[in-house]
Amino acid sequence: MLNKAAVTSQAATSKAPQVATLIRRPWGFLGSFSAMASPCEMLMRLDDERIAQQMLNIAVAEAGRIERKYSRFLQGNIVWQLNNAQGQAVNIDAETAHLLQFAQQCYQLSDGAFDISAGPLMKLWRFDGSHQVPAASAIKSALKLVDFSAIDFTDSQLTMAAAMSLDFGGIGKEYAVDSTAQLLSKRWPKISVLVNFGGDIACPILNPDGWQVGIENPQQLDNAAALLTIRQGALATSGTTRRYIEVDSKRYGHIINPRTGYPVEQAPLSVTVLGPNSVTAGMLSTMAMLKGAAAEAFLSEQGVDFKVFRYD
Amino acid sequence: MQLTSKQSIASALAMASCSLLSQQASAQEPVPANDDWKVDAAIMYYGEQDRVQAVEAIGNVQKAFGEDSLLDMKIVVDSLTGASASGAVAQSISQTFTRPSGKGEYTVDPGETPLDDTFQDTRVQLSANWQEILNPDWTVNLGVYGSKEYDYLSLGLNAGVERSFNKNNTTLALSGAYTNDTVDPVGGRPVALSEMVFRGDYDGDDAFQAAFDATRLDGDDTKQTADVMLGVTQILNRNWLMQANYGFSSVSGYMTDPYKILSMVDGNGESHGYRYENRPDSRTKHSVFLLAKGALDSGVIDFSYRYNTDDWDIQAHTLETHYRYYFTPSLYGQLHLRYYQQQAADFYQPFLRTEVALPEYASADYRIGDMSAYTVGLKFGHRLSGGHELSYRIEYYQQNPENNGTDIPGELNNQDLFPSVKAIVAQISYSF
Repeated sequence: MLNKAAVTSQAATSKAPQVATLIRRPWGFLGSFSAMASPCEMLMRLDDERIAQQMLNIAVAEAGRIERKYSRFLQGNIVWQLNNAQGQAVNIDAETAHLLQFAQQCYQLSDGAFDISAGPLMKLWRFDGSHQVPAASAIKSALKLVDFSAIDFTDSQLTMAAAMSLDFGGIGKEYAVDSTAQLLSKRWPKISVLVNFGGDIACPILNPDGWQVGIENPQQLDNAAALLTIRQGALATSGTTRRYIEVDSKRYGHIINPRTGYPVEQAPLSVTVLGPNSVTAGMLSTMAMLKGAAAEAFLSEQGVDFKVFRYD
Repeated sequence: MQLTSKQSIASALAMASCSLLSQQASAQEPVPANDDWKVDAAIMYYGEQDRVQAVEAIGNVQKAFGEDSLLDMKIVVDSLTGASASGAVAQSISQTFTRPSGKGEYTVDPGETPLDDTFQDTRVQLSANWQEILNPDWTVNLGVYGSKEYDYLSLGLNAGVERSFNKNNTTLALSGAYTNDTVDPVGGRPVALSEMVFRGDYDGDDAFQAAFDATRLDGDDTKQTADVMLGVTQILNRNWLMQANYGFSSVSGYMTDPYKILSMVDGNGESHGYRYENRPDSRTKHSVFLLAKGALDSGVIDFSYRYNTDDWDIQAHTLETHYRYYFTPSLYGQLHLRYYQQQAADFYQPFLRTEVALPEYASADYRIGDMSAYTVGLKFGHRLSGGHELSYRIEYYQQNPENNGTDIPGELNNQDLFPSVKAIVAQISYSF
């Protein structure tokens, strides 16, 4: 699927037991763990270490639950069942139906540019240093298998062609952030917390002092290029990968347009968007990526706060 | 309406996410951050060895009105007792001084630094400040200040404006203040460099009073101070910020300390009377302040340097650091170190010479002489349940006055003309 670097083949390693650490900080507690092939952080503004540990446990459990349920690298989960149904109807639960409905709305709002059925196309564009542009014929045949509108689903069942496949990687991490933030804010409605799963961030409860969030410049990954303060809301970033293919001195970026089968021209290096929640911010940043040269114009029209990095 | 349909993507996504999460995060009403009273109370003790003792009670109340307005009110009451150096030098024989009021005398033992023990006062200080965030970029504030002690009244106004840039990463601040002080010393203001008179030299009380009054000016006097400060604060990265300030201050009016005197010393170092000091009636000050402050893994540290200079020729350097370490999120310890070095005012001299013509201005006040000083402090803070905080602070302060290059005649070489001042500061604060 799109540019979600987080869900790569490395995800398989995350089956290892997760070790979460909790550290005291001047403002409260910092929890960290690894999930969805990403470093995950919890910034909690409170004094009580016991509650901080409970909050961290909930985050680790929720991130793990969503990863196990929706990773396309694990056998037997709902995504595996859907992708291996060989054209048969598969029963789905309410959460999966909600995610599919959301993916459908994103597909429609992006005029097909965001498509969770783009897996067969993505397999062709492997940014693994092979320096090869896929054959035009291969792209053409893969494109026939990419069409979210051809998938038939209800609240309880999904049916799709045998060769098609789904990948929730483009929304899974943001969904996990929001779901975790929601669990925590319901249980502790007065504790300010920042949930950060690999750069996708949600702050469900107002922090009067604000959280300082650094945004990396993908060309200078060691330095936070911009700092912004979030008191409440969410932030998501698309991009942040250095991968590209260079063939005959033409550089092919890592953002594939599922309508054409080729990389989006003049796609930014990364797009960071502020929004009411992480899935909204994430989808806006993804859509902006797909707009290529028009990313900034698109986000300006949406009236959201954003930061775009491009090649110098 | 092309624009509207494009804009609707963001709101359509927000709605779609709402049904996905069955609860939209942004639907939560932002809770007013600090729409409550915040009260700090503290009691501080300051004690110099054998000299001034002060007890100070501090009350601070903050009230937020919504997100954008903040009222800050402060009251400080302090009570001073004890003795402070009069400016006269120690002698090998006992010395007698007329009290500043002209009523009575006090005697200082041989070898002792003359201290004026009539020093006793209560001061009440009130201030209020209103801060208003106009928009994310502009903040303004306005304040009033007043303090009253027995012989001194100070009234002031201040205003400031702050402008933020780069998503609050840079803040420029400009502020100004105007203060009017009225001084009405006990016994009246001494005539500049007039000689102290003694009851024993006169036949009757009336004759003495007439001679004393001849050394005094009627009525009170005033001092006006105008301050301007320009500052910039820059967030450097996730953990560090820097601040730089430039301050300019213009003072005019009565700046003499009416209770300070100078010994008149001959070539053998023997004292032949005392004269009341006199200082210029204008002063222009400049200061530069640099601060770096950083967040560490379990603490906060800052370093600062301040340079002060004025047209009295006083130059001072201050180096200071605070290091706070959180043992737990609710318990911290803080170390405070400060070093101060000062070059004397051009009219400072430790005593007057009988064989030398009187200068226009002279003061032997050690506070405007050459000196170095340091502070070592420890503070502990404990956050209690319900957001209350209790903190304790103890500091040791030592001031080491130094000779500014004056030749010390005769027997004065046997005296400690530049005695150190040692003080302890202890404070307990409670916030709720």
